Amino acid sequence: MIRINRRKLITTSAVLAIAALTVATVPAQALNPQMADPGITASTIKLGVTSPLTGIASPGYNKIPGAMKAYFDYVNTNGGVNGRKITLVSKDDQYIPTTAVAKANELILRDKVFALVGTLGTASTKALTASTQLSKRGIPSLFVNTGWSGFADKKAYPTTFSILPSYQMEAKIMAKYVKETYAGKKIAIIYQDDDFGRDALAGFKTAGLTFDTYIPYASGSQALPATGAGWISKLKTAGAEVTVLFGVTSASTAALANAYGAGFKTQWVLGSVGGDATTIAATNKAYVPLLFGAKGFSFAPAPTDTTDEYIKLFQSIYATAQPTQTFDNNVVAGMSNAFLAVQALKAAGANLTRAGLIKAIETKGSTFASPFLTPLGYSSTSHVGATGYWVGTYGPTGALTPDGGKYTVYTTDSGTGPVVLSTYTRPAMPAKGL
Amino acid sequence: MLKKHPIITFIFFGFILFLISNRLDELRVYQGATVAVYAIGIASLILLIGYSGQVSLGHGAFLAIGGFAAALARIHFDAPIWLTFVVAVLAAAIGGALLGLAAARLSGPYLAGTTLALAIGLPSIANQFSIFGGEQGISFDIGLPPASLGEDFTQYKWFFWISWTVALITLYWLRNILNSRYGRGWRAVRSNDVAAELAGIHVGRNKVLAFTISAGLAGLAGALLAMTISLASPGVFPLALSFSLATGAVLSGVTTLGGIMIGSVTLVAIPEIALAIANRYGSETITTNLPGLLVSALLILTVLFVPNGPVEQMHAKRAKRGHSSHSPVEISVRVGSKTWSTKK
Repeated sequence: MIRINRRKLITTSAVLAIAALTVATVPAQALNPQMADPGITASTIKLGVTSPLTGIASPGYNKIPGAMKAYFDYVNTNGGVNGRKITLVSKDDQYIPTTAVAKANELILRDKVFALVGTLGTASTKALTASTQLSKRGIPSLFVNTGWSGFADKKAYPTTFSILPSYQMEAKIMAKYVKETYAGKKIAIIYQDDDFGRDALAGFKTAGLTFDTYIPYASGSQALPATGAGWISKLKTAGAEVTVLFGVTSASTAALANAYGAGFKTQWVLGSVGGDATTIAATNKAYVPLLFGAKGFSFAPAPTDTTDEYIKLFQSIYATAQPTQTFDNNVVAGMSNAFLAVQALKAAGANLTRAGLIKAIETKGSTFASPFLTPLGYSSTSHVGATGYWVGTYGPTGALTPDGGKYTVYTTDSGTGPVVLSTYTRPAMPAKGL
Repeated sequence: MLKKHPIITFIFFGFILFLISNRLDELRVYQGATVAVYAIGIASLILLIGYSGQVSLGHGAFLAIGGFAAALARIHFDAPIWLTFVVAVLAAAIGGALLGLAAARLSGPYLAGTTLALAIGLPSIANQFSIFGGEQGISFDIGLPPASLGEDFTQYKWFFWISWTVALITLYWLRNILNSRYGRGWRAVRSNDVAAELAGIHVGRNKVLAFTISAGLAGLAGALLAMTISLASPGVFPLALSFSLATGAVLSGVTTLGGIMIGSVTLVAIPEIALAIANRYGSETITTNLPGLLVSALLILTVLFVPNGPVEQMHAKRAKRGHSSHSPVEISVRVGSKTWSTKK
């Protein structure tokens, strides 16, 4: 009986495998080095994005691809970039690195996109960059939505450009603000104990800020009820008057809710990643007002600032494209992403290639028009976008507005350079924001 | 010749895969590598569920152990690729042996619950120690394919070759083990443990051994999975992975290795089908969530209509028509005038 079983096993396996793999075969494409890069024709450019559209991390972030698409459509109706219309293929990775890799593969190998734009999350971006071998293939990964300073390593990530300032820059600017504003007070920090949080710790150290209390938490553990309660009892014991929180928004939510529950008062200073009202509202709308009075940091104009010409333009584009959605900082992030991508594609010229696009950002990137209130740091040695932050205070609706009614922007680098008041004046927006 | 020398069949199959890998485009090659990973994962479950009669709903946990062990061996000791796989197998097997000791005392829903808890709990443990890299995980980079394979030899083809070489060796080895004394012992235990024990088979020891080997194989699959996406992180081994493997095993038919390709190809094909459906009728948000629905629906349909899997079903049909005498191993024990038998 075993004989028959074995033969069956072998033939069934072989037949099925061959059938499945060959039926699905598409004719292998001839490799021709003279051929133009994929994803580009005389009249179109195809870009791809993978980000969390569903799943636990999606609230807030799921608006980004829609905002990007809205801006690209706006550009397309105004003639496109050098005569080419942009199409954006959006994939849902649920914030799971494995899925992000699979989706990036689909974008590159099936949809044959010209470049990736705005992928989100440090872990997902790291995984997909390594696994799909963007650098070996020479595929540009434009303006990834993560501030992990590792992406600035041009050797490891030669085709990746980030859009956020690095977490080290942010920590140095926070340190300067905290030292000047809260001198003599007891200061504590809650930080995420991984690449993200340790990046920030390095920045605080460089800036010479030491804390009276350090509270690390493991990424993921902030979702557990006991974690947040534990932080607050430690803060209470230490008598922390000022608490810096360098973590994700779910950690801010846990901290704010538990402090409120325990009747504990401290001056919260939140990192830019951890203060998204839309994400807090997704947990519990009632928690949003707890942001009131907390200090926060940003490099883009506030979404509520209708005097800003970029915000005005973005609002009008978004109102047409997504009339039912609220305009918030995630929308600004998505639009800025798309805006910079268009600037880069324009700069690369009519004879568009992948290598040409990367070269254009390296040589002309620092002079691109951008909605940001800080200079852009792109150069042949740096792939970091925005280079500074302004300080603001959260209102009861979770909106961050600049202190003193105007944007006071500080700028610095990821190394040992000083934190200085930025003298950068943003150039006027190009006509019609194109 | 094929009947007498199964190894030739495996080599032949490998040669065909080699030819295929040169014909397919990169996306298919990548998916092909994933099929190999699933094949090993499903094989480990078939060994456990179909042969030793123990249920695991949390096999993703052993994949995780293997994936992390391989990545750590690579990062901290710069181990060569083959050694990282050995480390993965050993680490997961140790984990399996420990759980197996407990598992041998449990059965049915209790065992399922225990393994499920492991799959849920293990990622949190990984989050507690910084050596595992938290939510971001740690990278598992096996490096570029050897230069001797040429400039056009892609990374995915390299993954494909490695995965399938490992998978074929593993399946060959497993096939032999299942046809050996151990395999017969496990099947006897599954069919009727009282009869098996009376026949001199140590039930507990057999169960623990099955659990250990199964976990080791799962660890190997985990290392290969981590390799194909260059990363070991809690997110690589979600609970859904455990369920997918269990579904794959049921689709393949848990009582025989013969259908293993059905399960593994289906698991890889389902997202493709979902994409085709979504492209026609819906949006991208459906694409990511539709596979879960399809997998579940398929699981229910399989259990309803072909509970033993398509391959076993075919055998049963043939047996009915009197062509073949495929039947489970039968052990009968006579004590005095009474007979116990594993035959149902």
